[in-house]
Amino acid sequence: MRGTWLALLAVLALALLGALSLGDQPVPPDQVLGALAGAEDVPPAARMIVTGLRLPRAVLAMLVGAALGVAGAVAQAVMRNPLAEPGLLGINAGAALVAMVVIVEAGRVPGGALPWLTFGGALAMCAAIWALAWRAGTSSLRIILIGVGLSAMAGAGASFIATFGEVSAVQRAMAWLAGSLQDARWETVRRLAAWAVLPGLLAWAAARELDLIAFGDTVARGLGMRVNAVRGGMALACALLSGAAVAAAGVVAFVGLAAPHLARRLVGPAHGRLLPAAALTGAILVLAADLVARRAMPPLVLPVGLMTALLGAPFFGYLLWRRRDE
Amino acid sequence: MSEPRTGLAARGLTLGYGRGPVVDGLDLAIPPGRFTALLGPNGCGKSTALRGLAGAQRATAGQVLLDGRAIATLGSRELARQLGVLTQSPAAPEGLTVDDLVRQGRYPHRSLFGGWSEADSAALEEAYALTGTGHLRARLLDTLSGGQRQRAWIAMTLAQQGRVLLLDEPTTYLDLAHQIEVLGLMHRLVAEGRATVVAVLHDLNQAARYADHLVMMKAGRIRAEGPPSEVLTPEAVLDVFGVAVTIIPDPECGTPLCIPRAEGAFGR
Repeated sequence: MRGTWLALLAVLALALLGALSLGDQPVPPDQVLGALAGAEDVPPAARMIVTGLRLPRAVLAMLVGAALGVAGAVAQAVMRNPLAEPGLLGINAGAALVAMVVIVEAGRVPGGALPWLTFGGALAMCAAIWALAWRAGTSSLRIILIGVGLSAMAGAGASFIATFGEVSAVQRAMAWLAGSLQDARWETVRRLAAWAVLPGLLAWAAARELDLIAFGDTVARGLGMRVNAVRGGMALACALLSGAAVAAAGVVAFVGLAAPHLARRLVGPAHGRLLPAAALTGAILVLAADLVARRAMPPLVLPVGLMTALLGAPFFGYLLWRRRDE
Repeated sequence: MSEPRTGLAARGLTLGYGRGPVVDGLDLAIPPGRFTALLGPNGCGKSTALRGLAGAQRATAGQVLLDGRAIATLGSRELARQLGVLTQSPAAPEGLTVDDLVRQGRYPHRSLFGGWSEADSAALEEAYALTGTGHLRARLLDTLSGGQRQRAWIAMTLAQQGRVLLLDEPTTYLDLAHQIEVLGLMHRLVAEGRATVVAVLHDLNQAARYADHLVMMKAGRIRAEGPPSEVLTPEAVLDVFGVAVTIIPDPECGTPLCIPRAEGAFGR
């Protein structure tokens, strides 16, 4: 088990080194390490590229991935569904609709407002789904069905705006929707950390509740769990985590679905181990995907969400292939 | 009927899913320290009555009392420390071991962030010993046979250490050997004074053999209640199940043995 953790950390460190060293201006690994350590003999240009440009982007990528990984693991436990992901709670659809409205319809918005507005859109959508699914309690199936329905409606609204909006504004909105780490400044990193770290830790502290609620309402209730309270709290943590990730980087697809599955393969289903492993796996996925997105068609920088989606589709196939005997 | 001071009882308990009551004004005192079997045809409300007794379904009228206190006023963890519930064919998430499952039984005993205690370990070992599943603890649940899996779930319920066990059809889907094993375990738990057992059963003859107290239900109401020798009569079985039977003494233990009459169709 310790080997698994060390391997995860090693892969993450390697991906981080790659992300800091590779680019239009390659910086050799020794200079990367020197710049990180604050050594004197590193050329100022290399220091500027590593710590000023690439480091905030890499840290943002890791945080987004970790938040989505944990949110996905929580969603899969609470929904009792291996295909559950934070998007089912309406987070992506709510954020996307708000982003479309703000970028296309409202025209110019103060740059700092967009993350707040999309974060609010994500949470509002999640709350609406919860309210509509509530009938003297919740059930995961009702949440999933209503989540799919409301997300489709929000998607239709976003498409409507995209169809009739001004082309250049729509293009900017689409770039945001595809998931992008272009806005990687330390301020973005700090805001994401402020919004996501606490819910992530709370979810981890409640790992035992997640273990039990995954057995289903009847069993959990029979053992004395207040199922609606736990599901509500965990869904809120999930919404905060993934809403913060969406606000920071747009819709980064499939990480919330794939990272928990990979983590489960590595450390098993107990959430005390699964959540940190999903955080590490998600961080590695987004960091690696962004590296590919930056280097695949230089000088063009592809949206990271495009890369994760390209990686995610084969992953679905892999899931099906694994279940071929069932 | 006098108010029982100890044990589990239903008072005018009415339960339903919106379209008329499934259980209608149930008055039932579970004899403490005995094995009670709930019997009746499909849809008679026996499983619903069991869920009501477990506090898993909200009463539309009446209440369930535990030691004279309404269970609706007890905290959910407090209730789970008193009542162990096993639902019909429960499902576990993929990839769990028997130990992962049985440990969940300690959930109501642990504080929010409290660690695993000596008492938890002791309860676990006892549950393994009683069910004979200790050698399976590292096995994945998905790889167990039906009987082994059912025993693992019973071990989880025992690790809960409730005074009352409520089991919904614990023997359904098990082969004969495992049915006997599970019923024998229930009987032993009661005989050793560890628990009061209430189980929904389908086999009248097994119920008569292993249970001390039979409750026969039809259309949401109790039609007959008492020890097997008094309850299991041709009249009661005809009334509740609509089947004509002959009752003879069980050659093994003398309890009533119920044999459907061969009315023409099978005559040779």
